[in-house]
Amino acid sequence: MKNKKPVFFIVLLVAVAMAYLAAFGLQIGSFKIKGAPDIRFGIDIRGGVEAAFQAANLDRKPTPRELEAARSVIETRLDNKNILDRDVTIDKQNGYIIVRFPWKSDEKNFDPDNAIAELGETALLTFRDDDKNILVEGSHISNSAPELDKQTNQYVVSLTFDEKGTKLFADATAKLVGKNISIYMDDTLIQTAVVNESIPSGKAQISGHFTYDSAKALSDKINSGALPFSLITKNHNTISPTLGSGALDVMLEAGILAFAIICLLLMGYYRVPGVVACISLLIQTSGQILALSIPQMTLTLPGIAGVILSIGMGVDANVIVSERINEEIRSGKTVRSAISAGFKGAFSSVFDGNITVLIVGVILMIFGSGALLSFAYSLLTGIFFNFVAGVTASRLMIRSLSEYDALRKPSLYTCFSRRRTL
Amino acid sequence: MNNENNNASLTIAPTTGKIIHFFSKRFIYFAFSLTIMIIGLITLATEGVQLDIQFKGGAMLKYTYTGDISADDADNVASEILGRPVSSNITEDMRTGDKRLVLNIAGNYGVDAKDQVKFDDALKAKFPDNKLELSESSMVEPFFGHKFLTNGVIAIVLSFSLVLVYVWIRFKKIGGLSAGFMAIVALVHDVLVVFFTCVVFRIPIGDSFVAVALSIIGYSVNDTIVIYDRIRENHDLHPKLEVDTLTDLSISQSITRSLNTNFAVFLSVTLVYVMAHINSIDSIQSFALPMAIGSVSGCYSTICIAGPLWVMWQKHKAKKAEVRR
Repeated sequence: MKNKKPVFFIVLLVAVAMAYLAAFGLQIGSFKIKGAPDIRFGIDIRGGVEAAFQAANLDRKPTPRELEAARSVIETRLDNKNILDRDVTIDKQNGYIIVRFPWKSDEKNFDPDNAIAELGETALLTFRDDDKNILVEGSHISNSAPELDKQTNQYVVSLTFDEKGTKLFADATAKLVGKNISIYMDDTLIQTAVVNESIPSGKAQISGHFTYDSAKALSDKINSGALPFSLITKNHNTISPTLGSGALDVMLEAGILAFAIICLLLMGYYRVPGVVACISLLIQTSGQILALSIPQMTLTLPGIAGVILSIGMGVDANVIVSERINEEIRSGKTVRSAISAGFKGAFSSVFDGNITVLIVGVILMIFGSGALLSFAYSLLTGIFFNFVAGVTASRLMIRSLSEYDALRKPSLYTCFSRRRTL
Repeated sequence: MNNENNNASLTIAPTTGKIIHFFSKRFIYFAFSLTIMIIGLITLATEGVQLDIQFKGGAMLKYTYTGDISADDADNVASEILGRPVSSNITEDMRTGDKRLVLNIAGNYGVDAKDQVKFDDALKAKFPDNKLELSESSMVEPFFGHKFLTNGVIAIVLSFSLVLVYVWIRFKKIGGLSAGFMAIVALVHDVLVVFFTCVVFRIPIGDSFVAVALSIIGYSVNDTIVIYDRIRENHDLHPKLEVDTLTDLSISQSITRSLNTNFAVFLSVTLVYVMAHINSIDSIQSFALPMAIGSVSGCYSTICIAGPLWVMWQKHKAKKAEVRR
C-alpha cells in the first residue's frame, strides 16, 4: 500500500497557499492573481456612479413603454458586463432613466464617461443598399456571437436571423446580386460587401478589424437589442454606499470572528475530523473569494448571502462526515474502517443536498438578472468548492492522518458529548 | 438471532442511544407553526407591509448642503419623520465636486405639496447647521423592473418543480413524490417565517429580503434532504420498521448534526447582527435578523413539519391501499 502520510501536508500546503492568495493576491511581473483587496464590490457596499440618461434628439417626451424598453436593454448590457449590482429605474414624468452602478476595483483606470457612454449607445444594426434604403433591421437577428474565422484567422461577429429576417435577407441579397450591401451601426458604416449570390440560409457575418473583446462587445450589444432612441447623460455623480458606510467592515469582522469560533468548536467537539474540517473550510472560503475576485464578479449583499449559505453547507458536509465517523466507531469499527464507512455513508446526503441546491442555483443563473445572478454565482462556485473541499480534500486529509500511529486512537475521532460514555 | 422480531429490535439499539418521539407530538408543532403564521397574518392585516423603493418605487429628493452629513443619520431622521423606509446616499459631482444628499423614499411621497413642505421643515430643523436646500425631486418606478420580477418568479417556480422531480427520482424508495412535496412545504414555511419576521419587525421588503429569502430556500432544501437521506438508508437497513418509528429513528440519529450545523450558521449570522447593532448599521441588521430566524426555521421545519407530514401522507396511503383490498 502506498504511503499516504504526506498527503495531509500537501493538502495543508494547498490550503495555506490558497488562503494567502485569497487574502493578498499575487503579482509576478505582469502576471497578476487578484485576491480579496481587488474584489469588485457592488454599490450597496462601496458606492459607485449615478447617471441620469435622457433621450437625445427627440422632440417629444418618451413614452413609458419606450422608457421601459430602454431600461431593459440597459439591464441586459450591464448583465453582459458582469455588473450585477446596479439600480436602474425610470422617472416617467421627466423621461429620465437613472442608472447607479459600481466602481471597478482598479478605480484609477476607471473612466466613467466612457462606461456611461457605452451603456447609452443605441446599437441599431441595419443592412442597407447603396441608396441607404434599410433592407433588414437588427431586431430580426435572433443571435449574434464572436467567432474566429479559421480561413483569415481573424475575429468576426456571426449573425443568425430569425424567420422573418431570413426571408428579408434572402430577398434582399437576391435583388442585389453584383451590387453592394452595407452594414450600419446606427449611422456609422461598419462594413460593405459585394453580394455574389442570394443567401437563403439566414446566416451572415461581420468582419472588420475585430479583437475578441471588440467582437464580443458588438455581439453583446446586438443581442441586448437596440435602444428605442439614443441616450445622453448630462451629469454623473459618485454615490455613497446604499448599505451605509462601514457595512463591509462589520460583516468582515463578524465573518472572521464567526470563522474562528466555528473552528474552535469543531476542533473541540470533533477532534481529528474537526481539525480536518477547519482546513477544508479554509480551502472552501479561499476558493470562493478567488472565484469572485479573479473574474471580477461584482460582490453584493445577495452575493454575500450566497457565500454564507455555501459555507454553511460546507460546515454541514464536514459535520455530517464527522458524525458518521463517530457513529461507526461507536458501533465498534476500527478507525480506518470507520473513516471509509463514514465517508461512504455521508456522501449520498452531501451529494443530494448539494445537487438540489445546485438546481436552484442553475435556474437562477439562467433566468435571473442583477441581484439574482450575483447570488446564483456565489452559490454555484460554493457548491463546486463544497465537493472539492468538503468531500475530496477532507477525505484525503483524514485518511492520511489516520496512518499515523499516534492518531489511531478511536477517542480522537469521537464527539465530545459522547466520549465519556464510550 | 434467527428470529425476525429479535433481529429488528437488536438493530435499532446499537447506533442511537434512544429514539426521540417527534411524530407523536406533531400536532404541537403544527399548532406552533400555525400560531406564528396567524400572528404574522394579523400583523400584516393591521400594520401592513413596508415595501422598499426597490419593489414599490417612490421619490428621490436631492438636497444641497454645506458641512458634513452622515447618510446613515439622514435616513434615520427621515424614516422617523415619515414613518416609511428611507435610504440615503451622498453624491458628488465628478466635475464640480458639488455634494448632495439624496433621499430615496419608498411610496408615493411628494404627491401632496403640503406634506412635502412639512417634511422639508422637519428635516431642516434636524440639521440646522447644514443649510439643506431641495434642489431636485423626482418620482421613480420600482428598481426591480417587470423583467426582474417575472423572471424571478419563473425561476423560483421552475426550480421548485425541478427540485420536486429530483427528489422524486432520487428518493423513489421512500415515496419520492410525497417526500419532494413535503420538502417544498417546509421551504414555503421557512420563506413565510422570514417574510413575517420582516412584517413583525417592520423591516422594509427590499433587495436584502430577496437575498435572505434565496439563502433560506437553499438552506431549507439542503436540511430536508439530509434527513430524507437518513430515512432512505434506514429504510433499507430496517425494512420491517413502521414509517413513524423509521422517521423518528432517522431524525434522532441525525439530530446532533442538525443542531450543530444550525448552531454554526445561527452563531455567524447572530454575530453579524450584534456587530451591526453595536455600530448601528440598520441595513445589515435588517439583513441579519430575518436570516438568523430563517436559519432556525429551516432546521425546525425539517424535523417538525416535513418529517411528520411525510409520515402522515405515507400512513394515509397505506390505509387507503388496505381499504381497497
